[in-house]
Amino acid sequence: MMSDTPAIPAASCVLVSGGSRGLGLALVERALAGGAKVAAFARTVTPELAKIAADHPEDVFVGSVDMTDNTAVGAFIKEACAKLGPLDALVNNAAVGQDSLHVHTSPERIGQIIETNLTSTLLLTRAFLRHAMAKSGKGRVVMVTSVCAQRGYAGLVSYSATKGGLDAAMRALAREMHGRFLINSVAPGFFASEMSSVLGAEQLSTITRRTPTGRLVEPDNITPIVGSLLFDDTNINGQVITVDGGGSI
Amino acid sequence: MSTLSRDRVRTMMGEVLSAQGKDLPSDDDTRLNAIGFRSLDFSELALRVEDELDAELNFDAPGLRSVETVSDVLDFIDQLQSA
Repeated sequence: MMSDTPAIPAASCVLVSGGSRGLGLALVERALAGGAKVAAFARTVTPELAKIAADHPEDVFVGSVDMTDNTAVGAFIKEACAKLGPLDALVNNAAVGQDSLHVHTSPERIGQIIETNLTSTLLLTRAFLRHAMAKSGKGRVVMVTSVCAQRGYAGLVSYSATKGGLDAAMRALAREMHGRFLINSVAPGFFASEMSSVLGAEQLSTITRRTPTGRLVEPDNITPIVGSLLFDDTNINGQVITVDGGGSI
Repeated sequence: MSTLSRDRVRTMMGEVLSAQGKDLPSDDDTRLNAIGFRSLDFSELALRVEDELDAELNFDAPGLRSVETVSDVLDFIDQLQSA
């Protein structure tokens, strides 16, 4: 028997957190290229993000917002809706990284990582869903998590815990939002740019050689997957899609 | 915060190695891979120093990746104590 439940429509107005540089900026560009309006915030609006907003004044709204300031995040959503219309998709990209052994990471730093990557992301998702349910009724959410949620990597204990937490929350939300929202995670492997900033050429070469595709991840590898989850009728829901060149297999 | 002398930290480094049946050579230019002093050995040393100081000396991993000799270890602990 054919289902009479209609598909979740393609995103028409996408909220991107941490959209000022790197993958976040590429995701803003991808959502815009997909025909959606885009609201993006980051702690600092870079010249690159400001230029996109200036080039698309009717379709892009950007702001300088601290992810951990729940009141400011709520105000940004209201302002974005007033400027662009109702938001119906969210890309949770904002996060802080880690590169320290757990025993040498201060309690304060552990708290900051969890607050930014997990608590604030859950609160943003809650605020978005409350907005989108009331305004659009349906929509899509993409969590940018990490291969660290699936495999163990030294120096990333708290970071991994937050990304694993988001993957778990994503699956529960996909159940809760039955028929209303498609909710998925995209889990990148290590980005070439991140790795090269902390590792030497020899270490970088070893990691690259151990990756079956022979290539570390670039933002351009992630944007098509997020784009598909935002715009295509894939019926993918409650899944983690890992993009790491096969490094974790 | 009180600090431990370089000699005291060197002695403690010797104790970390001694517990594994290894010796700490007198030459501070000795490379760590030559004496089997690994990153978790550095971690143990830092925690022993913290224990004596009764204060945490937290640090990120990238700085540790440039530590290659006995002298580098002692310098790094010195920097942590003075930070």
